[in-house]
Amino acid sequence: MRRVVVTGLGAVTPFGAGIKPYWAGLAGGACAIRPLTLIDAGGFRCRIAAEVPGATGGSPRRSRADRLALGAALEALEDAGLTAADRADTALVTGAVGGGMLEAEAWYWARARGERPPGWAAALRAILPGSHAETLGHRLGLGGPRHTVVTACSSGAVALAEAADLIADGVVDVALAGGVDAMTRMCFMGFNALKLLDPEPCRPFDRDRRGMSIGEGAAFVVLETAERARARGVRVYAELAGHGMTTDAFHVTAPEPEGDGMVRAMRAALAAAGESAAAVGYVNAHGTATSQNDRIEARAIARVFGEGRLLVSSIKSMIGHTMAAAGGLEAVATILTLTEALIPPTATLVTPDPEVAFDCVPGVAREAAVECAISNSFGFGGQNVTLLFRHAAS
Amino acid sequence: MEAKEVIDELKTILVARLKFDPRRAAEVAETTPLPKGVEGSIGLDSLDFIELSIAIEEKFDVVMDESEDLSAHFASFDTLSRFIVGRRGPA
Amino acid sequence: MDRRAVVVTGVGVVNSVVVGASPALGTWLAQPRAAARVAVGHGRPAARLPEATLAGLVDPAEGRRLSRVCQLTIAAARLAVAESGVDPACGLGLVVGTELGDFTSTIAFADGYLARGAAGLSALLFPNTVMNTMAATTAIAVAARELALTLNVPTVAGELAVARGFAAVASGRVDAVLAGGVDELDPLVAEMLDALGDDAVRGEGATFLVLEAEAVARARGAAVLGRIDGAAWRSLAARPWGVGRRAESRAIDEARRRAGGRVPGFVYASASGDAERDGWESRVLAAALGDVPPAASLGALLGQHGGLGALRVAAAAWTARSGLLPDDAGGPPARVSGPGLVHGLARGGGHVALMVSAA
Repeated sequence: MRRVVVTGLGAVTPFGAGIKPYWAGLAGGACAIRPLTLIDAGGFRCRIAAEVPGATGGSPRRSRADRLALGAALEALEDAGLTAADRADTALVTGAVGGGMLEAEAWYWARARGERPPGWAAALRAILPGSHAETLGHRLGLGGPRHTVVTACSSGAVALAEAADLIADGVVDVALAGGVDAMTRMCFMGFNALKLLDPEPCRPFDRDRRGMSIGEGAAFVVLETAERARARGVRVYAELAGHGMTTDAFHVTAPEPEGDGMVRAMRAALAAAGESAAAVGYVNAHGTATSQNDRIEARAIARVFGEGRLLVSSIKSMIGHTMAAAGGLEAVATILTLTEALIPPTATLVTPDPEVAFDCVPGVAREAAVECAISNSFGFGGQNVTLLFRHAAS
Repeated sequence: MEAKEVIDELKTILVARLKFDPRRAAEVAETTPLPKGVEGSIGLDSLDFIELSIAIEEKFDVVMDESEDLSAHFASFDTLSRFIVGRRGPA
Repeated sequence: MDRRAVVVTGVGVVNSVVVGASPALGTWLAQPRAAARVAVGHGRPAARLPEATLAGLVDPAEGRRLSRVCQLTIAAARLAVAESGVDPACGLGLVVGTELGDFTSTIAFADGYLARGAAGLSALLFPNTVMNTMAATTAIAVAARELALTLNVPTVAGELAVARGFAAVASGRVDAVLAGGVDELDPLVAEMLDALGDDAVRGEGATFLVLEAEAVARARGAAVLGRIDGAAWRSLAARPWGVGRRAESRAIDEARRRAGGRVPGFVYASASGDAERDGWESRVLAAALGDVPPAASLGALLGQHGGLGALRVAAAAWTARSGLLPDDAGGPPARVSGPGLVHGLARGGGHVALMVSAA
């Protein structure tokens, strides 16, 4: 069985462009959830989100989401030291949901006002989630197998799992995988309509939590076989040792109340990695701060790992729920937790929910040498993924 | 506004917002159970109730605070119309 | 990784000329008639499904909460599962390919807000604005609890979904996968595709196949409709939505290699009237195969949509069994033998190849 390791990281986040400001923000327990600027939140109860600050770089002709994706993907490829020849055989798996919806919305809104704005063909071309893969593949010279997965909030994590399968199955030796989502009116309005947003920054696992915060960003990682990484002497961040993917098949928005799908995903990841539950020291939770998710997820974690002992935190407390990017951003955070021996906090947690049987690392990052960590992503429609990362030294 | 008017509007909402067939909506009695899982109900689930709340807020100009537990009021059109009339206060 | 043999045990097709399982598809393939085309918005005429078709396939109480494209998906998925007789409780995965997702609901959701502000937002419509809605609703309808993927790519969505489903079963990760594709027609989308220079004849519908590990299928006495001997997906260099210049064919080579290096006796290609793209595909096939064997596409007959690629895989199994390859121009079928190559090539470079034989 070919082992899959992580050799490159890239991210554009509500803390800015690049892995360094991302980790600095997470380690510092900073909350990047602020009043919205990219879209008009008038008439909604919630008017805050975690936006990527400042200019995103890249051509203004491209959709915002494409620019975020390019920034993160380029950083990962350069971090891994992949040459043009390497890239010609590198697979690409992208997790996406909104695509270029932000620009398409602007066009559609203008059209509703009776205008005929320019640039509409380009906006519509970029709207489909699959378009990021075409842009990245073309612009970055990625010539291997290419596909786009849309699994709602777990898309970014599914992308990494898919890429790991391509490598483990011997289809390719190297892959770039990750997720991206830019702020969109549709997403923001929709979650408002479902009454799932907290008017204040979200508080995962807090007794008084009142819902999610939306975020945006992009994260990509380079995966390759352990053998290839060793042969070319590149630094290995961690091993992607296993993953589990299940479906609740219960309801289009509500999670299945017993968390069976979540439990199966976590157990499948452990089994695939050949690890016991006791080996896992940290769970980077899906932790959206909705009443239902956090309660059900915490119970599911307890069913798999027992109560207490392991540490759990949700970085959505700092960067919000970044939709298709979440699985990628949270995988990167989990990987850095291993390399830096530091657990990012649930920054906004004030009063731990007594129903949650874990230390959720309130407020301040916690030093901890962790050998194995998992990252959970549980998407709308019961699309569950768990990724298991093992410390490079293990 | 009287309870009967409210119920007529609720039936309109069933068709316009919840995609019920108009004949089916017309057949719903005051005491027909609304929530899924209750015998003889019209099978509304959590997402239907959210949609219904949005429509009720707009149509009747009432506020439904999500922190309140309003589930008892959603048992039937009878309980729902009383709730709405009560929320609206005197005409 | 284990390499298990993968067979097709069920087919479900819902489009404007074929509704049913493999017998219905076979009847049509024996004498394919073109779908009637009607104007869709300001767009070109396209092959639209008559409303009565779906009304007959989905129960009204269930259908109330399902958007049209979800109804299409569930109808086809159920037909395939019923024909196959597979028990979802034993572990069923789901892979849905789509080019356009639920555009209709997305536009309706936006229109609600534009007309009436926040009060005009529909909670019921919102989940449909995310492209996994067909997979999410179908997973509920058929109780598929293993992986459930939605893959988005132009033109080759159906082929890619079947190739991905094949990989999941062949690698031993899951014993059965429901794989296929779906798309519906929407006026705004027709306008958009025109503007992007995509000249393909458009259609709508869904086709799903049940793929199973051969040993497992035979052990439970399932009827085997065909075997997928190899499948691969790669990419060819092209601008987004553009047509490339290179004709190298790593996907075809790899699919054939997995199938034991066999030479295909016939081809189902992904042509549907987009002249530039169709020309590129011809060059790629010629580069890979030299003398290209008899080829059919069904694209102009049925109209391009996400389900078509999966339909072609089912058609290839039928052709491998019957020795008949339908004529896209309506003439008599060609007599062919041997395994078939199902080939898809998309603007932007998505590239899929599958080798299909009679089992």
